[in-house]
Amino acid sequence: MDLYDLRKDFAESGIMMCFNGPFSHSIIEEIGIALRNHLAAEEIAKAAVLDVFAVYIELAQNVRNYLALREITQSEANSSIITIAHWGDGYTVASGNFILNSDADTLCTRIEEINNLTPEERKRQYREQMRREPAPSALGAGLGFLEIAKRSSAKMVCSVRKIDDIYGFFSLAAFI
Amino acid sequence: MDILDIQQTASTPSIRFDPATNTLRLVGESYPENSFDFYAPVISWLTASLQQLSELTLDIAITYMNSSSTKCTLDLMDIMEEAYARGVRTAIVWRYDCENPRSYDLAEDFREEVSFPFDIVALGK
Repeated sequence: MDLYDLRKDFAESGIMMCFNGPFSHSIIEEIGIALRNHLAAEEIAKAAVLDVFAVYIELAQNVRNYLALREITQSEANSSIITIAHWGDGYTVASGNFILNSDADTLCTRIEEINNLTPEERKRQYREQMRREPAPSALGAGLGFLEIAKRSSAKMVCSVRKIDDIYGFFSLAAFI
Repeated sequence: MDILDIQQTASTPSIRFDPATNTLRLVGESYPENSFDFYAPVISWLTASLQQLSELTLDIAITYMNSSSTKCTLDLMDIMEEAYARGVRTAIVWRYDCENPRSYDLAEDFREEVSFPFDIVALGK
Protein backbone atom coordinates (compact mmCIF):
# COMPACT_ATOMS: atom_id res chain seq x y z
CA MET A 1 0.00 0.00 0.00
CA ASP A 2 1.40 3.34 -1.07
CA LEU A 3 0.53 6.00 1.49
CA TYR A 4 2.15 8.86 -0.38
CA ASP A 5 -1.11 10.33 -1.76
CA LEU A 6 -2.74 10.21 1.66
CA ARG A 7 0.29 11.89 3.17
CA LYS A 8 0.27 14.53 0.39
CA ASP A 9 -3.42 15.30 1.11
CA PHE A 10 -2.54 15.78 4.76
CA ALA A 11 0.31 18.11 3.92
CA GLU A 12 -1.85 20.17 1.56
CA SER A 13 -4.56 20.50 4.22
CA GLY A 14 -1.98 21.61 6.78
CA ILE A 15 -2.71 18.59 8.96
CA MET A 16 -0.01 18.18 11.60
CA MET A 17 -1.54 15.24 13.40
CA CYS A 18 -4.37 12.86 12.68
CA PHE A 19 -5.85 9.80 14.27
CA ASN A 20 -8.33 7.54 12.53
CA GLY A 21 -9.75 4.52 14.31
CA PRO A 22 -11.71 3.63 17.44
CA PHE A 23 -11.11 6.22 20.21
CA SER A 24 -10.14 4.74 23.55
CA HIS A 25 -9.34 6.83 26.60
CA SER A 26 -5.68 5.82 26.46
CA ILE A 27 -5.40 6.84 22.80
CA ILE A 28 -7.05 10.19 23.54
CA GLU A 29 -4.60 10.70 26.40
CA GLU A 30 -1.50 9.68 24.40
CA ILE A 31 -2.34 11.83 21.38
CA GLY A 32 -3.05 14.73 23.72
CA ILE A 33 0.40 14.43 25.27
CA ALA A 34 2.03 14.19 21.82
CA LEU A 35 0.02 17.20 20.65
CA ARG A 36 1.20 19.33 23.55
CA ASN A 37 4.82 18.34 22.99
CA HIS A 38 4.47 19.18 19.32
CA LEU A 39 2.90 22.60 20.02
CA ALA A 40 5.44 23.40 22.71
CA ALA A 41 8.13 22.95 20.05
CA GLU A 42 6.36 25.54 17.85
CA GLU A 43 6.99 28.13 20.55
CA ILE A 44 3.49 29.51 20.81
CA ALA A 45 2.00 30.97 24.00
CA LYS A 46 1.25 28.44 26.70
CA ALA A 47 -2.36 29.67 26.82
CA ALA A 48 -2.79 28.90 23.09
CA VAL A 49 -1.29 25.42 23.53
CA LEU A 50 -3.84 24.74 26.26
CA ASP A 51 -6.71 26.06 24.10
CA VAL A 52 -5.80 23.71 21.24
CA PHE A 53 -5.38 20.86 23.71
CA ALA A 54 -8.69 21.65 25.46
CA VAL A 55 -10.63 21.75 22.18
CA TYR A 56 -9.00 18.47 21.16
CA ILE A 57 -10.00 16.82 24.46
CA GLU A 58 -13.60 18.08 24.33
CA LEU A 59 -14.04 16.95 20.70
CA ALA A 60 -12.46 13.54 21.29
CA GLN A 61 -14.36 12.85 24.52
CA ASN A 62 -17.61 14.09 22.95
CA VAL A 63 -17.20 11.61 20.09
CA ARG A 64 -16.35 8.75 22.42
CA ASN A 65 -19.26 9.53 24.76
CA TYR A 66 -21.70 9.92 21.87
CA LEU A 67 -20.81 6.56 20.30
CA ALA A 68 -21.08 4.88 23.72
CA LEU A 69 -24.40 6.55 24.52
CA ARG A 70 -25.91 5.54 21.16
CA GLU A 71 -24.25 2.12 21.39
CA ILE A 72 -22.68 2.54 17.98
CA THR A 73 -20.19 -0.31 18.23
CA GLN A 74 -20.12 -1.92 14.79
CA SER A 75 -16.54 -1.64 13.59
CA GLU A 76 -16.80 0.84 10.72
CA ALA A 77 -19.23 3.12 12.55
CA ASN A 78 -17.12 3.01 15.70
CA SER A 79 -14.08 4.32 13.83
CA SER A 80 -13.71 8.09 14.16
CA ILE A 81 -11.20 10.67 13.02
CA ILE A 82 -9.61 13.69 14.63
CA THR A 83 -7.25 16.14 12.95
CA ILE A 84 -5.12 19.01 14.18
CA ALA A 85 -4.06 21.38 11.42
CA HIS A 86 -2.44 24.74 10.85
CA TRP A 87 -5.01 27.42 10.04
CA GLY A 88 -3.58 30.80 9.07
CA ASP A 89 -1.49 31.86 12.05
CA GLY A 90 -3.45 29.53 14.29
CA TYR A 91 -4.82 26.04 14.40
CA THR A 92 -7.95 24.12 13.61
CA VAL A 93 -9.05 20.99 15.42
CA ALA A 94 -11.75 18.84 13.82
CA SER A 95 -13.49 15.58 14.60
CA GLY A 96 -15.55 13.28 12.40
CA ASN A 97 -17.76 10.42 13.51
CA PHE A 98 -20.83 8.39 12.66
CA ILE A 99 -24.09 9.64 14.10
CA LEU A 100 -27.66 8.43 13.86
CA ASN A 101 -29.46 10.36 11.12
CA SER A 102 -32.16 11.09 13.68
CA ASP A 103 -29.63 13.14 15.71
CA ALA A 104 -28.37 15.23 12.80
CA ASP A 105 -30.82 18.13 13.10
CA THR A 106 -30.50 18.40 16.89
CA LEU A 107 -26.69 18.51 16.70
CA CYS A 108 -26.49 21.06 13.89
CA THR A 109 -29.16 23.27 15.44
CA ARG A 110 -27.33 23.22 18.78
CA ILE A 111 -24.02 24.18 17.15
CA GLU A 112 -25.74 27.00 15.27
CA GLU A 113 -27.38 28.21 18.51
CA ILE A 114 -24.08 28.21 20.40
CA ASN A 115 -22.33 29.98 17.51
CA ASN A 116 -24.78 32.85 17.83
CA LEU A 117 -24.49 33.36 21.60
CA THR A 118 -22.74 36.42 22.96
CA PRO A 119 -19.94 35.62 25.45
CA GLU A 120 -22.30 36.65 28.30
CA GLU A 121 -25.10 34.37 27.06
CA ARG A 122 -22.61 31.54 26.62
CA LYS A 123 -21.36 31.99 30.16
CA ARG A 124 -24.93 31.97 31.48
CA GLN A 125 -25.80 28.80 29.58
CA TYR A 126 -22.61 27.14 30.83
CA ARG A 127 -23.56 27.99 34.39
CA GLU A 128 -27.15 26.75 33.94
CA GLN A 129 -25.92 23.52 32.38
CA MET A 130 -23.41 22.97 35.23
CA ARG A 131 -26.32 23.30 37.67
CA ARG A 132 -28.46 20.77 35.78
CA GLU A 133 -28.59 17.19 37.05
CA PRO A 134 -27.05 14.97 34.38
CA ALA A 135 -29.29 12.20 32.98
CA PRO A 136 -28.49 8.84 34.64
CA SER A 137 -27.07 7.54 31.35
CA ALA A 138 -25.00 10.67 30.67
CA LEU A 139 -21.26 10.20 30.26
CA GLY A 140 -20.51 13.90 30.14
CA ALA A 141 -21.94 17.04 31.60
CA GLY A 142 -23.37 18.40 28.31
CA LEU A 143 -20.85 21.25 28.42
CA GLY A 144 -18.52 20.19 25.60
CA PHE A 145 -19.84 22.35 22.76
CA LEU A 146 -20.01 25.43 25.03
CA GLU A 147 -16.43 24.81 26.16
CA ILE A 148 -15.24 24.45 22.55
CA ALA A 149 -17.06 27.66 21.56
CA LYS A 150 -15.42 29.52 24.46
CA ARG A 151 -11.97 28.61 23.19
CA SER A 152 -12.67 28.93 19.47
CA SER A 153 -11.74 32.26 17.91
CA ALA A 154 -14.14 31.76 14.98
CA LYS A 155 -17.56 30.15 14.72
CA MET A 156 -17.56 26.38 14.82
CA VAL A 157 -18.28 24.68 11.51
CA CYS A 158 -20.27 21.49 11.29
CA SER A 159 -21.64 19.31 8.52
CA VAL A 160 -23.45 16.00 8.16
CA ARG A 161 -23.09 13.68 5.21
CA LYS A 162 -25.71 10.97 4.85
CA ILE A 163 -24.19 7.48 4.69
CA ASP A 164 -27.26 5.22 4.62
CA ASP A 165 -30.74 5.00 6.15
CA ILE A 166 -29.37 4.79 9.69
CA TYR A 167 -26.07 6.64 9.79
CA GLY A 168 -24.66 9.99 8.85
CA PHE A 169 -21.12 11.29 9.21
CA PHE A 170 -20.80 14.34 11.45
CA SER A 171 -17.82 16.69 11.11
CA LEU A 172 -17.15 19.50 13.56
CA ALA A 173 -14.29 21.99 13.46
CA ALA A 174 -13.13 24.71 15.83
CA PHE A 175 -10.47 27.36 15.29
CA ILE A 176 -7.81 28.63 17.68
CA MET B 1 -12.72 9.16 58.79
CA ASP B 2 -11.53 7.20 55.77
CA ILE B 3 -8.16 8.04 54.28
CA LEU B 4 -8.35 9.68 50.87
CA ASP B 5 -5.24 9.24 48.77
CA ILE B 6 -5.65 9.09 44.98
CA GLN B 7 -2.48 8.94 42.89
CA GLN B 8 -1.93 11.33 39.99
CA THR B 9 -2.09 10.11 36.38
CA ALA B 10 -1.76 12.05 33.10
CA SER B 11 -5.51 12.70 33.01
CA THR B 12 -6.43 12.67 36.69
CA PRO B 13 -5.14 14.77 39.60
CA SER B 14 -3.71 13.49 42.85
CA ILE B 15 -6.27 13.95 45.61
CA ARG B 16 -4.98 13.74 49.14
CA PHE B 17 -6.22 14.85 52.54
CA ASP B 18 -3.74 16.20 55.06
CA PRO B 19 -5.30 15.70 58.52
CA ALA B 20 -2.64 17.91 60.15
CA THR B 21 -3.96 20.99 58.36
CA ASN B 22 -7.44 19.74 57.40
CA THR B 23 -6.56 20.41 53.79
CA LEU B 24 -7.82 18.45 50.81
CA ARG B 25 -5.36 18.93 47.94
CA LEU B 26 -6.04 18.42 44.24
CA VAL B 27 -2.92 18.63 42.08
CA GLY B 28 -2.43 17.95 38.38
CA GLU B 29 -4.78 17.90 35.42
CA SER B 30 -8.34 16.64 35.20
CA TYR B 31 -9.80 15.07 32.06
CA PRO B 32 -10.75 11.56 33.22
CA GLU B 33 -12.35 8.92 31.01
CA ASN B 34 -15.49 9.41 33.10
CA SER B 35 -15.41 12.41 35.43
CA PHE B 36 -18.52 11.35 37.35
CA ASP B 37 -17.00 7.96 38.19
CA PHE B 38 -13.65 9.51 39.06
CA TYR B 39 -15.07 12.15 41.42
CA ALA B 40 -17.79 9.96 43.01
CA PRO B 41 -15.51 8.69 45.84
CA VAL B 42 -14.24 12.24 46.46
CA ILE B 43 -17.80 13.55 46.73
CA SER B 44 -18.71 10.73 49.17
CA TRP B 45 -15.57 11.32 51.23
CA LEU B 46 -16.15 15.08 51.39
CA THR B 47 -19.82 14.69 52.34
CA ALA B 48 -18.96 12.28 55.18
CA SER B 49 -15.91 14.23 56.40
CA LEU B 50 -17.75 17.52 56.61
CA GLN B 51 -20.10 15.89 59.12
CA GLN B 52 -17.09 15.38 61.42
CA LEU B 53 -14.65 18.21 60.78
CA SER B 54 -15.03 21.75 62.05
CA GLU B 55 -12.86 23.15 59.27
CA LEU B 56 -11.66 22.11 55.83
CA THR B 57 -9.67 23.86 53.12
CA LEU B 58 -9.85 22.70 49.53
CA ASP B 59 -6.51 23.52 47.88
CA ILE B 60 -6.76 23.26 44.10
CA ALA B 61 -3.75 23.39 41.78
CA ILE B 62 -5.25 22.01 38.58
CA THR B 63 -3.64 23.45 35.48
CA TYR B 64 -6.27 22.09 33.10
CA MET B 65 -9.72 20.62 33.64
CA ASN B 66 -12.18 19.44 31.01
CA SER B 67 -15.79 20.57 31.03
CA SER B 68 -17.21 17.57 32.92
CA SER B 69 -14.56 18.06 35.63
CA THR B 70 -15.77 21.64 36.11
CA LYS B 71 -19.22 20.21 36.85
CA CYS B 72 -17.73 17.81 39.43
CA THR B 73 -15.70 20.62 40.98
CA LEU B 74 -18.87 22.66 41.37
CA ASP B 75 -20.48 19.66 43.11
CA LEU B 76 -17.58 19.62 45.62
CA MET B 77 -18.03 23.34 46.22
CA ASP B 78 -21.79 22.92 46.76
CA ILE B 79 -21.11 20.34 49.48
CA MET B 80 -18.72 22.78 51.14
CA GLU B 81 -21.25 25.59 50.86
CA GLU B 82 -23.86 23.48 52.58
CA ALA B 83 -21.39 22.67 55.41
CA TYR B 84 -20.44 26.34 55.68
CA ALA B 85 -24.11 27.17 56.24
CA ARG B 86 -24.04 24.73 59.20
CA GLY B 87 -21.03 26.50 60.72
CA VAL B 88 -18.15 24.44 59.33
CA ARG B 89 -15.25 26.73 58.41
CA THR B 90 -14.72 25.88 54.76
CA ALA B 91 -12.35 27.68 52.41
CA ILE B 92 -10.82 27.30 48.97
CA VAL B 93 -7.37 28.18 47.77
CA TRP B 94 -7.21 28.12 43.97
CA ARG B 95 -3.70 28.14 42.52
CA TYR B 96 -3.42 29.27 38.91
CA ASP B 97 -0.58 29.41 36.44
CA CYS B 98 0.17 33.06 35.50
CA GLU B 99 0.71 31.98 31.89
CA ASN B 100 -2.78 30.50 31.76
CA PRO B 101 -5.37 33.28 32.14
CA ARG B 102 -8.26 30.83 31.63
CA SER B 103 -7.49 29.15 34.92
CA TYR B 104 -7.85 32.50 36.67
CA ASP B 105 -11.14 33.23 34.85
CA LEU B 106 -12.48 29.81 35.80
CA ALA B 107 -11.58 30.47 39.45
CA GLU B 108 -13.44 33.78 39.33
CA ASP B 109 -16.52 32.05 37.89
CA PHE B 110 -16.40 29.47 40.67
CA ARG B 111 -15.91 32.13 43.34
CA GLU B 112 -19.26 33.65 42.34
CA GLU B 113 -20.93 30.33 43.22
CA VAL B 114 -19.94 30.24 46.91
CA SER B 115 -20.13 32.52 49.92
CA PHE B 116 -17.20 31.12 51.97
CA PRO B 117 -13.59 32.39 51.67
CA PHE B 118 -12.12 31.71 48.22
CA ASP B 119 -8.54 32.84 47.55
CA ILE B 120 -7.07 32.91 44.08
CA VAL B 121 -3.28 32.85 44.18
CA ALA B 122 -0.57 32.53 41.54
CA LEU B 123 1.08 29.09 41.44
CA GLY B 124 4.39 28.85 43.19
CA LYS B 125 3.56 31.66 45.63
